[in-house]
Parts: sequence; structure tokens; C-alpha cells
Amino acid sequence: MKGLLRRLTPFAPDQSGAAAALYELGGILVICDAGGCAGNVCGFDEPRWFQSRSAIFSAGLRDMDAILGRDDKLIGKLQSAAEEIGAAFAAIIGTPVPAVIGTDFRALRRMGENRLGIPVLSIPATGVRLYDEGAAEAYVQLFETFAKEKLPPDAGVAGVLGATPLDMGRTDPGAGIDEALRAEGAGRALLYGMGAGLDEVKRASRARENIVVSPAGLPAAKYLEETFGTPWRAACPIPAALEARLGELSGRRTLVVHQQVLANAVRGRALSMGAASVDAATWFTLAPELAQPGDVRLNTEEELSQLLTAGHYDAVVADAALRPAAGEYDGLWLDAPHFAVSGRLMEP
Amino acid sequence: MSEAYSITAAALAALGPDDVPPELISGTHLIYSSPAALAFNSPGAQGFGVKRAGLAIPGSVMLLVSPGCCGRNTGALRPGGDYDGRMFYLLMDDTDIVTGRHLTKIPDAVREVCAVCKTPPTVVMLCITCVDALLGTDMDRVCRKAQAAAGVPVLPCYMYALTREGRLPPMTSVRQTVYSLLQKRPRQSDACNITGYFSPLRDDCELYALLRRAGVRQIRELSRCQTFDEYLTLAEANFNLVLDPESRVAASDLEERLGIPSVELTRLYQLDKIENQYRLLGQVLGVELDDREPKERAVQALDALRDAYPGAVFAVGECANADPFELSLALCRWGFGVSEIYGTVSAANFPYLRQLARLSPETKIFSNLHPTMLYYKETPCAAAIGRDAAWYHPHSPSVLWAEERQPFGYAGAQALLEALLAALGGKDAV
Repeated sequence: MKGLLRRLTPFAPDQSGAAAALYELGGILVICDAGGCAGNVCGFDEPRWFQSRSAIFSAGLRDMDAILGRDDKLIGKLQSAAEEIGAAFAAIIGTPVPAVIGTDFRALRRMGENRLGIPVLSIPATGVRLYDEGAAEAYVQLFETFAKEKLPPDAGVAGVLGATPLDMGRTDPGAGIDEALRAEGAGRALLYGMGAGLDEVKRASRARENIVVSPAGLPAAKYLEETFGTPWRAACPIPAALEARLGELSGRRTLVVHQQVLANAVRGRALSMGAASVDAATWFTLAPELAQPGDVRLNTEEELSQLLTAGHYDAVVADAALRPAAGEYDGLWLDAPHFAVSGRLMEP
Repeated sequence: MSEAYSITAAALAALGPDDVPPELISGTHLIYSSPAALAFNSPGAQGFGVKRAGLAIPGSVMLLVSPGCCGRNTGALRPGGDYDGRMFYLLMDDTDIVTGRHLTKIPDAVREVCAVCKTPPTVVMLCITCVDALLGTDMDRVCRKAQAAAGVPVLPCYMYALTREGRLPPMTSVRQTVYSLLQKRPRQSDACNITGYFSPLRDDCELYALLRRAGVRQIRELSRCQTFDEYLTLAEANFNLVLDPESRVAASDLEERLGIPSVELTRLYQLDKIENQYRLLGQVLGVELDDREPKERAVQALDALRDAYPGAVFAVGECANADPFELSLALCRWGFGVSEIYGTVSAANFPYLRQLARLSPETKIFSNLHPTMLYYKETPCAAAIGRDAAWYHPHSPSVLWAEERQPFGYAGAQALLEALLAALGGKDAV
């Protein structure tokens, strides 16, 4: 049955992706929920939350707030919080409750900006979509709102889009990603939202190129290309612990299941190390411009086991949490943790 | 403002329960999300939320019918644990959350779930969330249809965060649900149930021995039931002991349906109040409960802590197996100090607060949930008690006091005092 999970647990939702994209940027983040969603976003999907304090809040909606659509009350609470703690911007992130009652997020944004006098982003996440969609929406609104000025390109700077712990499996800013990209000739890599803050976002037009490390960064890269003419390319460093094992794929027919950009990176490296063939599959965004023939977007648990059988794969690179959905597959399995799937961080 | 809001015990007691400052009332402001507030924002993230609680019936499985986000944190219930193979999800899509179309899929989903279980489930708990609260779903009807389709009992579990301060909050409702399969049986005069928690009392709790000496030989707890048949024997109790106010509705239901009366006891740390409570329980049972030995052990633990660390000052949080105001009062009455309390203030706390205001008027009271807690600055204390207090005091010894085996009575107080002694002495905190 479509939508029935018998062996897997749900993946990170869109509100978690939106919060992850904005987490380090110094704004007030309000999860528009009754409490449980904020708890999940922070307690399960945001590993940085345990390391440092952050201005992330639940709207604390109650049944009558939802039934009566008390947007003014929410904005009033947000205004009080903004006065008490100060912030460069605010972001209101949706959940199932506003989705059900049809909250007008554009109106919330306008009301918020009028009352607070600071930029307000509003991300209409619903909780039924996946993290990459929420992160993508947040990145686009972020650059639309703050990257206004066209600056001369700086040949030594590259922007990095789509880097959150949900995709990178790391919490430390840079996390070795900048070194890896520098080694590829990218210059100084600015990971927006993971080390590079709001000031860097405002100066995003100076980047000589943008590097998309996960599909969540793709719409923003296209926006920056259209707006400032900044070219983009997709690349993602492979975690060293995983790369060290890719030699085991030599001669094997391999399926990589991960976020698409990392899956592509693993494919390239594995083929160069002698893998017989490599296909990519993902539960998340499968961008046509990054896909190769044979790549697949997975929608149900059954599709994974069917794909493994039909493709006659004898090696899989994927988060071990997906193993229960692999049916009778008994070939090689290289564990590639994906935080958005299992909540596990990668080994460096 | 760059300071966390707080109010002294004296000032708060003077204001009274009808004039609690809005900073201490969660509905008036955004809810700050920090690890100290996790138990509020995501009750299931630590301890028991609706999902774990709903699986309290032996052999049960749960089908969570919701947007994916609502089931996200169940990934924390790692494979190989008690919940392995017991959680299933029917994920809603964009159309479902507006039209309620998902409801038509539930009977087939329940059938599929039963088909993949290695042994037939004793009951399928259908857990629904805020979406169905807003859609006004008639879950009793949905459960009846699913039950007819699957041939196993199907019960509703309401994970309605929107109603957490309403008449029937989720954790109250689920306590009622997990006893709802009990059917009337002849009551046995030597049997009782201990209700209120989803995990057992500490094995060393004197309540077991006191009840046995009073002739109650069959002391049952839902969390100790290994099989469904054992679960069904809960209906044979002569009376229920209710240790958590959130079980009052369940107890009332059991009295109405099965004729089992209940007696409510409170978890306390003030030793004289524990003694008084047992005296009253004895009167209800028609016996005198001899609690001298366990009390003496608790007194010895208190003396040991007082001798080693006279006047030690603690910070006390609400993410612990204690009412932070009652525990703070106990500590102050024992001659210790309490510098700060992190708690949710309600009218029920004011009897403790008023006494605390007399003994320790300068004790500061914070709300974990207020936005200004972003600016909380650690102040020195001998030890922090509670998960939240420990989060605020990373440089002090701490006793989390949040383990699943529930402390109660003298044994609970004794264990806490011993844990504090160990923590202050630099040994591993509990």
C-alpha cells in the first residue's frame, strides 16, 4: 500500500529542512505548531541544537488558535520575542496544523514585517513533504530577501549551497567540506548556513561560482544564476570513511541510495575504482539535470527491494537503516549514513 | 532585554495563583525550544510520550496515521529494543490532510500490518495526530471498521498536541485507552493495581512490602505484565492506587466500568508527608502500615548528606521524577538551599510555593519555556537535579533523576539523597 511503512521509519520532513537551512543565520525561527513538531525538528533532526543555544521556538498553538485562525496572536507573540531577544530576521515555518487550516503564509510574512520591522521569511512546510523541499524553499527565500546587491565576482570565493547536517551528516562548520572543495580548485568555500552567516548571504553575488552539495541547494543556485549570472555546478565530497571502502565495489554492479549529489559523487569515484556499473536511487529530489539513465526516485518500501531484484545488484551503498526494506538482498552493503534517513551522523 | 526572566518565590507567592506573571504562562508567549524544554515540546523524545505509552499493552502494535513528521522521532526507538517490529506508519499526503481521504485506507492498512506481524497482535493501537483533531475524525467509528476488517481489537490513541492543556490531554487519554480492553472479572480481595506510570516502581520501594503486610498479595502494574493474559488480570483488582494525577480519568473509568475503586497517592520527598500519606492509606485499608524501617533508612541517607554537605545549595528542574516545588520545599526543610527552580507553575504548586516563600524567599523561579531562557546564565550551585537543571548547569555535578524505574515513597527519597551524595562526591551522577 502506498504510504504504508512496515519496515522503515519516516524521513526528515520539510519543516526540519527549512529549519536546518536557516539554523545558524541569527534569526528567530518559529515552528508554527502545537509543540511536537518543534520537538522533532530540534530533538531529532538538528544535531547542532544540543551543542549551542539557538533562537528556535514553537508557536505553541492550541486547538482554538487553529480553529479560529488567530494569526494576529502568533504575530503578537513573535513581536514580543523579537523585542526581548532581538534578531536580524524572523522565519515562520509551517507544519501540518497550518496546512490543514489553510494558513496564508504570505499574509503572515507581511503582517510580521509590518509589526516587527525586520525581514520575515515564511516557509509553508506541511510535514507531509520531505526535508529537501523545505530546505530548498528556505534557501530561495533567504537569497531573495537578503542577496540584493550585485557585487564584482571574487575569483577566490565559491558559495556552497545545500549544506546542512541532514545531508552532510556533520555539525561542525566547514566540516572538512571546504578543504575538500578547495582541493578541487574551488577557492575559499562559503557554506551558507554552516559557517557562513547572514553577511555572507548578503554578499552572495560575489561568489565566482556556486557549488551545489545536495539537491536542496539547487533551486537557490538557479535563482542566483538568473539574478547575478553566477554559474553553478554540483559536487559533494565523499566522507573519508566511506571513500576508503569504495574499492570493495570493484567489479560489482552497484546501487547507491542517498541524496542525489553524494550518490553521483560516489558513482564517479566507484567507477574510477573499477565498479562494473553504478546506478543512483534516492527517496528525495531526483533532479533531471543531475540524473543519469537508470537513476530512480523511490517512493515506497517495496520499490527498493524490487529495484534490487530487478537490477541484479550485488553491492549497495546506503544508510544501514534502509536494510530492512531490502527484502532478500544479501549482497555487499556499504553503510553510508544519511542523517535525514536515520538520524545518524557520518564518520569524518 | 538580555536576561532570563525569573521571579522570587516570595514575589510569586504574594501574587497568588490568580495572578501568575505571563512570563510563566506558556500560552502567552512563544515556546523556547532547548534541550531543557524537550519534554514539553516532544514528550516522546525522553521517557514516555503517547507512542510508547500506547504500546503498554503486551503484544500490541501501533499504526501511526499522520504526516511523516509526526513519526520522525520514532527512529530513536532503535532496532532490537522492546518496540522492534511494533511501530508502523500510514503516511498522509497533501490531499489527505485536507480531505481526510486517508481514513478509507486504514482498514486495509491495519490488515496489512497484522499480516506482517510474526505473531498476531493482541490489539492494534491507531495513533492519530493534530491533523485528525482538526478534521474532526470520528476515531471510534474508524476503529470499529478497522477491527471488523482485521479481526483484532483496534483502539484509538490521540496524539493531539493541540489539546495538551484541554480537558483530556493526550497523556491522560492514553492512560485511559491502555486499560480499556479490561473486561469485568470477579474482584479478588487481596489484589490491587498500581497505576499512573508506564514503567514499574523501583523494586526497593517500600510500598510493595507495606501492601503485602496489609494482606494485599497480588500487586500488579501494567508495565510488569509480560503477556496479554496477565494484562487481563488487572481487572481482578480490589482497588487501584493512582500515583499520577494523569491517571485519574483512567481510574474513574475503571471504577465506572469494572467497579474498581481507587486511592490516589502523591509522589513526595518530605519524609513526614510520606509518613502521613501512608497513615491515611492505612486508614483506608483498615490496617496500620508500619513504615518505620524504610523511613529510618531514608533518614540515615538524609543525615549522611547533611553531615557531608551541610547547607548545600541546589538547582531543581521539572524534567525529573519529582514535583520541583515539593522537592525544593523538602530540600529547604532539610536545611539545604535551593537557588533556582525551573518549573511550570499551576495552582496545585502554590501550597508548596507559599511554604517555600517563607523558608527561602529569594529562590528564583524560571520557566523553561520562556523566550528569554535563551539568555539564561549559569549560576553556581552544589548540584543540579533534573535533566533541565543539568542542561543549565554543565559545570556543576548533576543528578538527572529521570530514570524510567519510578522512585516513590521513602525509597525514592533515599535513592535521591544517595545519588546527591554520590554526585557531590564526584562519583557518576545518576
